Amino acid sequence: MADVSLKHIYKVYPNGTKAVNDFNMQIEDQEFIVFVGPSGCGKSTTLRMIAGLEDISAGELKIGENIVNDMEPKDRDIAMVFQNYALYPHMTVYENIAFGLRLRKLPKDEIHKRVVEAANILGITEYLNKKPKEMSGGQRQRVALGRAIVREPKVMLLDEPLSNLDAKLRTQMRAEISKLHSKLKTTFIYVTHDQVEAMTMGTRIVVMKDGFVQQIDTPKNLYNYPANKFVAGFIGTPQMNFFEATLNKEGENVIIKFEYSDAQITVPYSMLYKAKPAYLDGKTKVYMGLRAEDISLLPEDIKNSKAVVKVKVSHKEELGSETLVYGDINMGGDGYVESSTRVIIKDNSGRDLKAGDIVDVAWNIEKIHLFDYENEQCVLPRIPEYNYLDCEIKNGKLCFAGCEIDLPEAVKCNDLKGDLLLPTDALTLNGNLKAEVVSHESINGINLSALNMNGHRFYAVNLQYSEAGKTLNSPINIGIDFKKITVISDGKTVIAPLSELNKLNCKFVKRKEYEEVNVNGKIKRKKAIRFGFDVAGKFFEASEDMSQKIFAALGIKKAFTTPLNLECGIYDLAISESGIPAKIEGYLDYGSEKFVKCSVGGSEVYVNTDGEISGEIYLQPNFEKVGIVEIEREIKII
Amino acid sequence: MDLEYLKMSPLEKFWFNFKNFFKRLPLSFAAFFKAIPKKLYKLWLAFAGIFINIGRSAKEGDWKTRTSFAVMGFGLIARKQYLKGFLYLIFEVLFVLYMVFFGWKYLVKLGSLGEVACKTVTDPLTGIEKTIYYDNSLLILLYSLLTIFIAIAFVYMWYQNVKGNLLSQQFTEAHLRLPTSKDDIKSYADENYHKTLLSIPVLGLVVFTILPIFFMIFIAFTNYDKAHQPPAQLFQWSGVDNFVTVLGGGISADSKVFAYTFGEVLLWTIVWAFFATFTNYILGMVVAILINKKGVKFKKLWRTILVITIAVPQFVSLMFMSQLLADQGLINSLLLKWGWIDKAIPFLTDGTFARITIIIVNIWIGIPYSMLICTGILMNIPTDLYESARMDGAGPIRAYMKITLPYMLHVTTPYLITQFIGNLNNFNVIFLLTGGNPPLEMDGFNTTAGETDLLITWLYKLTVTENKYGLASVIGIFTFVIVAAFSLILYNRSKSVKNEEEFM
Amino acid sequence: MAKKFKSKKGAERVSLIVAYTVLIIICLIWLIPFLMLIILSFRGEQAGISADYLFPKQWSFNNYIKLFTETKFLTWYGNTLLVSVVVTVFQTIIVLMTSYALSRLRFKLRKPLMNLMLILGMFPGFLSMTAVYFVLKEINLTQNIVGLILVYSASSAMQYYICKGFFDTIPKSLDEAARIDGASRHTVFLKIILPLAKPIIIYTVLIAFIAPWGEFMFSSFMMKGDPDKFTVAVGMKSWLDNSTLMAEGYFTVFCAAAVVVSIPITALFIWLQRYYVEGVTGGSVKG
Repeated sequence: MADVSLKHIYKVYPNGTKAVNDFNMQIEDQEFIVFVGPSGCGKSTTLRMIAGLEDISAGELKIGENIVNDMEPKDRDIAMVFQNYALYPHMTVYENIAFGLRLRKLPKDEIHKRVVEAANILGITEYLNKKPKEMSGGQRQRVALGRAIVREPKVMLLDEPLSNLDAKLRTQMRAEISKLHSKLKTTFIYVTHDQVEAMTMGTRIVVMKDGFVQQIDTPKNLYNYPANKFVAGFIGTPQMNFFEATLNKEGENVIIKFEYSDAQITVPYSMLYKAKPAYLDGKTKVYMGLRAEDISLLPEDIKNSKAVVKVKVSHKEELGSETLVYGDINMGGDGYVESSTRVIIKDNSGRDLKAGDIVDVAWNIEKIHLFDYENEQCVLPRIPEYNYLDCEIKNGKLCFAGCEIDLPEAVKCNDLKGDLLLPTDALTLNGNLKAEVVSHESINGINLSALNMNGHRFYAVNLQYSEAGKTLNSPINIGIDFKKITVISDGKTVIAPLSELNKLNCKFVKRKEYEEVNVNGKIKRKKAIRFGFDVAGKFFEASEDMSQKIFAALGIKKAFTTPLNLECGIYDLAISESGIPAKIEGYLDYGSEKFVKCSVGGSEVYVNTDGEISGEIYLQPNFEKVGIVEIEREIKII
Repeated sequence: MDLEYLKMSPLEKFWFNFKNFFKRLPLSFAAFFKAIPKKLYKLWLAFAGIFINIGRSAKEGDWKTRTSFAVMGFGLIARKQYLKGFLYLIFEVLFVLYMVFFGWKYLVKLGSLGEVACKTVTDPLTGIEKTIYYDNSLLILLYSLLTIFIAIAFVYMWYQNVKGNLLSQQFTEAHLRLPTSKDDIKSYADENYHKTLLSIPVLGLVVFTILPIFFMIFIAFTNYDKAHQPPAQLFQWSGVDNFVTVLGGGISADSKVFAYTFGEVLLWTIVWAFFATFTNYILGMVVAILINKKGVKFKKLWRTILVITIAVPQFVSLMFMSQLLADQGLINSLLLKWGWIDKAIPFLTDGTFARITIIIVNIWIGIPYSMLICTGILMNIPTDLYESARMDGAGPIRAYMKITLPYMLHVTTPYLITQFIGNLNNFNVIFLLTGGNPPLEMDGFNTTAGETDLLITWLYKLTVTENKYGLASVIGIFTFVIVAAFSLILYNRSKSVKNEEEFM
Repeated sequence: MAKKFKSKKGAERVSLIVAYTVLIIICLIWLIPFLMLIILSFRGEQAGISADYLFPKQWSFNNYIKLFTETKFLTWYGNTLLVSVVVTVFQTIIVLMTSYALSRLRFKLRKPLMNLMLILGMFPGFLSMTAVYFVLKEINLTQNIVGLILVYSASSAMQYYICKGFFDTIPKSLDEAARIDGASRHTVFLKIILPLAKPIIIYTVLIAFIAPWGEFMFSSFMMKGDPDKFTVAVGMKSWLDNSTLMAEGYFTVFCAAAVVVSIPITALFIWLQRYYVEGVTGGSVKG
């Protein structure tokens, strides 16, 4: 009955290995969250940190309203179910369930009432007087659940509770835990390595690997829009087919050509609008993923499909309701071993196939997933980061997509031809480029609009055209935020985006100050201790809240010696009479906005400004918006 | 691992490992010495850290913290951590009282170990002669040591006090909640529970084990013996004289005899430990296998009969055996009566005979125990190992050689090591059986030891009957060195075996 | 095939017969000395140690009567019993505390402490005895039962090894579950670990109880010269060392005493055999 918030949670072991990296999540009340991933991915560690069984190296963990980083497990108001049940062998079921309540010194009648109630819910009333070892695995797990729910905790934590049960019992208990969740209306956090459990039980799933969160989303979105190759391969059985392929744009079509095979398919370019053009050069390798159920052997599908590929059948797995057909798109290949040409097909056609048969299969091109060959991230993100365009700079004008626009002073450069990276959040409504909004979708609370400008497709996020009184397909005026654009020519970055985050070295320090206090008419000097940040010799007092966070993350002894980075946005540094001394190095005029580039100590910072100034200036960070990062471990403290 | 190695026969493998062990020996020594500078540096850092902390406390501390440099716990009390603060304060007061009224006067005499032992004075009134005792070297040494221990404890506590006070100050300044006395008490049932649990056991160890060991090490550097017995006489520091004597570097004839005795006893100790350990182990295993043999019935009965013999106190069996096997003991008498022998067999009175008898009696005493251990492990060998061996066509003997023995050796290595070390120090068997006799002779003269004496029983004799405390301590130190060396080598070997397995 | 099968059976039978024979011989070897001890204790007539027969010419309880009326045996027995009971209580508590702390709690000095105890175990125990003796002498605890109890209990912590091994096998998740249920580490120890440690507690009790009966080295050193404070081991050894007593036929009294000492311990042992075997086998395997 509480939400759980994890902010920049890290687990670093003394030998330096990071078990959990920058875990951020806001778990709402009554959610059923599942942490899933292969063993060693940090899912159990995260759960144990929430439980208080492991120390949190850095970050902030909140359960309900309380920060619980340093709280003992017993004070966190949580309950946990363990993989091996962890029932007390010397106590009866009744005593096992009542143990926590007795320690909390509840009245006897109340304990009895609650134990019986919990036993009723779980159907273990008849075993109450038995010892755990007289019971079966399923019953023991029920007792473990009973012990957890009887305390009416704010959060229920379950650490692979079903992995010691046999397959049939597991399915049954899965349903029962889901039922329990809807009945108790408590937040559940459930750890498993079994993606089926995750998909069937979770309202949201956290996929983890090697200590990093890969994706947090609903089961449906994970399945349909995996963020990277790992998630795509991890979710769903049989595993998604992955092929190495190159993409070649030819007119309005893109040809997908597979490696180690003669096969190729053609898809309309409209499907790949969101992809970086660099991927479509016919040379860059990508992974193409397609699920087994999106490949069809049905004759009518093959007849209607534009993407038909020849597959050599190697063997089959009969599952009763359907058949898994294993094959290879490489005619010399072997469908037994997982490779980049192996295909698994979920077949309902009932066709009688034999090993060695070469058959046509229809690929559902709507469902293809593309991943980068190097970093394995999705090439077709749901929300693209950039619009990729060819551009030309002529006489101080930027020409792209058939339109011309004046470059501001800050990014003026010589004539050249190159590529323009136009971030989707760099499109504004105040400009004079003519365009129209052709479609609009809302993804996880972010509005994505597709624009048509001279026949070119653009994407823009959070373009609030309807608030500006415009509708779909009506002409609107578009402007560009030049701070964010990148132009690359001959492999060199000609125009770089302005870094929006300034980093300044700083230290957390203690200062003694004397203030004069009037006590009964006498003026006394009183000492006051202040904590703050020393940035390039200038002291800024830290708020109570900030100091507490730093003490919590670094400990009182290391707080004053650890090198830190002060991170603040370009709008959060103000020029003022006093503050951090800085030397002006140059001006950046973006037309509507102006910035100064200055150096502080050894680092460069950019500051928003109204007019021209010169010489020494002083900078004042806005401490309500700054971030503090521990440099060595790259841990974000604030 | 090297593929060539896998091809070798067991004998070759053994030879290969044996060679390698000695080949690696210089390397591991080199590694050990290479590690020294790094370790020293670390030690130095830790040491420097102490002074840095003290310095920081002095620099950053406010007046409350600084006052607690002299008045321990002051800052804590001032910041309302009464329990901790007063404990520090009480500790300081007790320490000062101890030093002033007791510790100091012993500590100052540590260098000389006393000047006047006793004087005989005539009471001027009654005319009766009286002996007044002054300095007692033994007590001076003992209490000086105690005082040094307590002083070290005090310095440690003082340092903790300085650190604790600064921490308390920092907590207050940072507006963090300071633990109250109630929290402190509670923490001793939770976060600090180890302190609650371990304080009494560790105190017992320090007073009754560590302090005495240090005391005896110091005794090794004195001339404490029959001629220098407090309280009537003093004893003095004698440097490494005792060590020289034991190692045979002394000039006197006595020293030569002593060195000879030491060599003989040491040799026998090692021989004894080796035989005692392995005869027991191997025969125990044989008995265990017999009992566990498929088809043998009444397993429990056989085992119980043997286990009962463990229950009979060892000293009873040993003393009884010593009587039975004596020259006029029952066994000799019976044999003589039956005419099987015409002269008593010197079971315990002839050196070689006695040694063999001891080992055999030790087998009799020890087999039930090793049988028990082997049985436990034998039953734990997974049966599928045997089943798969049978499938592969292995007979019972092959199965024993290929499965049982390696498994047992692998699992029981730690047991064997502890047994070996235990036997090096096995007092009871020797002392109660032969008392170390017959006397060991050198050129026709009796030495202080017997032919069956182990280092530990010799030590006992040197102390209890000969009162050569100084020399006995040296023997004790050597015994420790030998035992430690053996355990170090053996443990390291078995550890490396374990590690290799992990990598495979 | 059938023939081979038969011959295999035959070979098995032969090997079984061999096994039984060997086992019977072994049992005889192990039991005969104890039987001799019992038989000798019933010898009624006076005969020196060199009497050349085993079976008494005259069966009687004289030795036992003499044991309880003429000798100090009863006092020694009482001393030993007192010492072993008190030591058992102290040692069990200390061992359990140490083992729990070393097995379950994590603190900075854990490893160093374990190493220290390993090293201390390598010093010959006797080496420290002289010093302990003088310490005890200063506080007037030599020739005193309390002193002996103190010495026996003081270094009990070093016996933690087997008990810790047992604690290590209790799953950690039990502790964690209890701590989430609201238990402090102290409560975990009392309510979870101790009830589950019954076998190892019994083993520790058994070992602690038996030890003082067989310990000779220190008790003889400490109680030297005061026969009223002897333990049975020291007392009985003093008979054997005294040749006049032996000439008077104290050998058979010695046998009677040995029987009396052995009976309760053996009974206890047979009763608790299971725990002893568990403890011994469990402890020997763990490295």
